[in-house]
Amino acid sequence: MGQSIKELRLQLVGNRRANVRNGEDPVRDYADSDMELPPRLFTLLLMLLEWTRPGLPSPLRPICDLRVLKHFIEEARDAQAAMLTCKEGCGLPEPVTVPQTKVDFSVWERKNALEQAQEVQSGLWLLNKAIGSLRASVTNTALQSHIDNSLINIFRIGKVLRSLNIQECTPPAGGVSGGEETWRVSSASELLQVHVNFLRGKLQLLLSNAPVCH
Amino acid sequence: MTNDNLNKLLVFCVLFCAQKTSIVHGVQALETKVALLLHVEPENPKCFAEGTSDLTCFWEEDEERAGSADQYSFIYTYQNENSSKCAVTALPAAGGKRLYFCRLSQTQLFVPLDIRVFRDNLLIHNRSLFIEVVFLLDPPANLTLTSTETQGQLKASWLPPSLKYMGDSMMYEVSYTMAGSHIGKVEEVQASSELILRGLQLGTKYKVRIRVKLDGISYSGYWSAWTDPVLMETMSGDLDPLIVSLSLVISLVLTLLSLIVLMSHRRFLLKKIWPIIPTPESKFQGLFKVYGGDFQVWLGHSTGGLWLRPAYFYSKEFPAPLEVLSEVSLGPALPSSALPPKASEALGEEEDEDKKLKRVETPQEHWLMDHGEDCEFDNSMW
Repeated sequence: MGQSIKELRLQLVGNRRANVRNGEDPVRDYADSDMELPPRLFTLLLMLLEWTRPGLPSPLRPICDLRVLKHFIEEARDAQAAMLTCKEGCGLPEPVTVPQTKVDFSVWERKNALEQAQEVQSGLWLLNKAIGSLRASVTNTALQSHIDNSLINIFRIGKVLRSLNIQECTPPAGGVSGGEETWRVSSASELLQVHVNFLRGKLQLLLSNAPVCH
Repeated sequence: MTNDNLNKLLVFCVLFCAQKTSIVHGVQALETKVALLLHVEPENPKCFAEGTSDLTCFWEEDEERAGSADQYSFIYTYQNENSSKCAVTALPAAGGKRLYFCRLSQTQLFVPLDIRVFRDNLLIHNRSLFIEVVFLLDPPANLTLTSTETQGQLKASWLPPSLKYMGDSMMYEVSYTMAGSHIGKVEEVQASSELILRGLQLGTKYKVRIRVKLDGISYSGYWSAWTDPVLMETMSGDLDPLIVSLSLVISLVLTLLSLIVLMSHRRFLLKKIWPIIPTPESKFQGLFKVYGGDFQVWLGHSTGGLWLRPAYFYSKEFPAPLEVLSEVSLGPALPSSALPPKASEALGEEEDEDKKLKRVETPQEHWLMDHGEDCEFDNSMW
């Protein structure tokens, strides 16, 4: 009790110094280990997270070269030509809904970019569904590969549109049925012709006038 | 008339003339397109689109069998739509023909169009087409030729047809021939408004023309008419003054450098290229310069203690057999047999002479030593 606070502090320092001389510094060690391990662990975790990068994908570079679309159109034409030569095992089981392909420039220009994008995206959704049902019913192997190609290309077109910041439109729960922008086809050749005309027309107009590319 | 009225009249006249010009030009363009399609399109009616919203269809009939325009019906039907009717007009054509036209001013692309032509309710023509594949454009405007910096080249530039959405789909064919020749070359270029023509002859006039067509991916059609040819002469083969002057400067510098090098090594080079042929002139003073190489005369006139007196060379006495026998030998003198007195006398003289010779032969010996290896020393004269 006779010791003052100052004397106690001095004593503690002396003890510490003695411990240091002995090769150990319990207070410091405990404090450092407490301080060092969490930051190091935190840093390690950050590095790991940076490396694995879970979460959102990186933005795509805009695909503005229309030769990509040219490739898709040519493959769609090949599928249409193959369908014309197919005699058996190449029919639609039931009529399917497809988008309208006609383009009246005066009407098209009156639509804004969003409306145009929605029209194209919903059309692609319909085509994907219709060609998918054709794929299920076709037994001709040569035609099957063409149809598979067409389905893959529709998927790739979706990626191209995403690269141009044209977001995918989710169709309503009942799907897109009826309306002025759709009609029903019952033959596979009609379906594939619609597919070609849609790519050549509305999709090409949308891609060639994408704001990101200008 | 007041000034205002005059101005109005002037403006009206200008507009009228311009419109008339454009009408005339339009009619000429239509005639060209009709002639073109009559040549390349086998189906009837022949249809072409000039822009994004129009379609012109026509067919031809002989004047004898032709009826009036109102006898014909032009019915067109887009897929999944109702039929529509188009008004038919008739125009006379060359060669005793008549042309019937129908023009649509609002069209739909990328959808099949069915066309049926009736004459007095009788179907005469039936065709299904896509409008976006029957484009027949106007030829490109403002075709211009300019020289490039490189010889043998010309740059052709033009104004593309102004069609919305189709700029990237246009392809051009550039035809160029030497003026006066019928053999030319053709080059294609896609979605561009200029082309550099290479491999041209220098100083030659070339005739260039161009036509346009859509590339066939989304849009297609027929080749347009050729533009009016444009003539231009390529640069001649004369050398560029800058290049000539630079070449002169460089060659001058190189020449100076080589001269400097040559001058600094002239002795070495002279020795190698033009070696000095040694002459005995220095040993025989005046023999060649004064006496023209006449040795006898030189001997007769030569003076100086160092030179041999000709008397030693020319003895009036004929060589005696003794002289022939006595030869200078480098070794010790051999014992000789008894010699005739004259010979011994001559020998005595010879010995004296030898001594003298040895005394005064220094230059000769020197000369002989210099050239000893070249000639065989013959002391028979001594």
